[in-house]
Amino acid sequence: MTMEDLRSEAGFDPAEVETVGLDADDRPGASTGRRTDPDGDDPASPRRRFELLDDTGFDEVPAKYRRFYRRWQGEADVLAPNEVLCPVCKVVIRSARELRPGDRVYCMPCMSRLEVVRAASGRLEAIVRY
Amino acid sequence: MSLDPSELHTRDHSGFLAEVQSFEFWFQSVEGYLHDRPYGVAADTPMPELEPERRRALVTTLSTYCVGEVAALEGASGMIGFAPNRATKIFLATQAVDEARHLEVLLHRLHELGEDDAEATFEARSNPHLLAFRDRLLRCVAERDWLASVFAQNVVLESMEFAAFHSHAKTADPRTAQMLSGILKDERRHIGFGENDLGRHLRRHPADRARLQTLKRELDPLVLACFEDSLARLGISASERPDVGRLYLESVARLGIAG
Repeated sequence: MTMEDLRSEAGFDPAEVETVGLDADDRPGASTGRRTDPDGDDPASPRRRFELLDDTGFDEVPAKYRRFYRRWQGEADVLAPNEVLCPVCKVVIRSARELRPGDRVYCMPCMSRLEVVRAASGRLEAIVRY
Repeated sequence: MSLDPSELHTRDHSGFLAEVQSFEFWFQSVEGYLHDRPYGVAADTPMPELEPERRRALVTTLSTYCVGEVAALEGASGMIGFAPNRATKIFLATQAVDEARHLEVLLHRLHELGEDDAEATFEARSNPHLLAFRDRLLRCVAERDWLASVFAQNVVLESMEFAAFHSHAKTADPRTAQMLSGILKDERRHIGFGENDLGRHLRRHPADRARLQTLKRELDPLVLACFEDSLARLGISASERPDVGRLYLESVARLGIAG
């Protein structure tokens, strides 16, 4: 699987899977289609969907976008499968679906376009795509 | 064009940039954290009594911050005249307003600290390294050197301010901390604009990295010395002090102009 392959399937399709659950993975009914690949990188496996709560306490973007961001709590902050840290301004970016390598996300607070990658540590990270 | 919030991350890049660099986006963003906060501080925030020595140190540090904000105000407003396109001009106009507000809230806090003539005296109290940096930045602007101006102002100065204000806010009195917190929220936009604008340029013109590296070597000692000194003055010891330049160093590394 090349990065280009992953990128080509990265477009959001609202009909892809049904909207489920709230933010936490472990909520009843929070995921659809259990993954068989531990990293979740297999594009054939369904993505979990996340309903983003309106109020994360983040107030640096227009109200309608605030649910896509939250403050980073530092190194001990464990990111959910639909979250990634912006390397430019250190804000947590949130998506309505589980993130995978090759996905594109935008950081509105610092105006950056980012690509999700899997770091050597196994964690999902974001790199800037100018 | 406004982005559909339900599909935020799937929009095309040009549409995203058009929105986030707009005056409308800026207005809705700052409304969230400045509403009901005259001079950046909620009205019910108590006025702390500071020990004379701590008050003096704070006055000196805020005076240095004022010089940085004036430099950024003059820099951003001057750059509008030679910015490459309309969206960038509008973004810089919002940045100029941000910097003007920062200067105003800093001067207001200095007044609260008993400095009735703060506007006339802040430059004399400021760190000399920052004064030298300001002169160099404004020379880049006067020469209408877009690349150098964006780098000096939005990458070097803004990221250093971000780190310094962030560190300072952790130990500051409640009014100063709240004021700095509001400034920090603006700085994210300024830092991001600088890195992304330069990043897009350097992707197309990689040879320009050499020129920016030369400028970086000239500016680094000035800004690093200034903010290290400011944090030391605030009583944050070297061991407790976070790496002031980390955000900046990460940024120049991503741009390929470290070293």
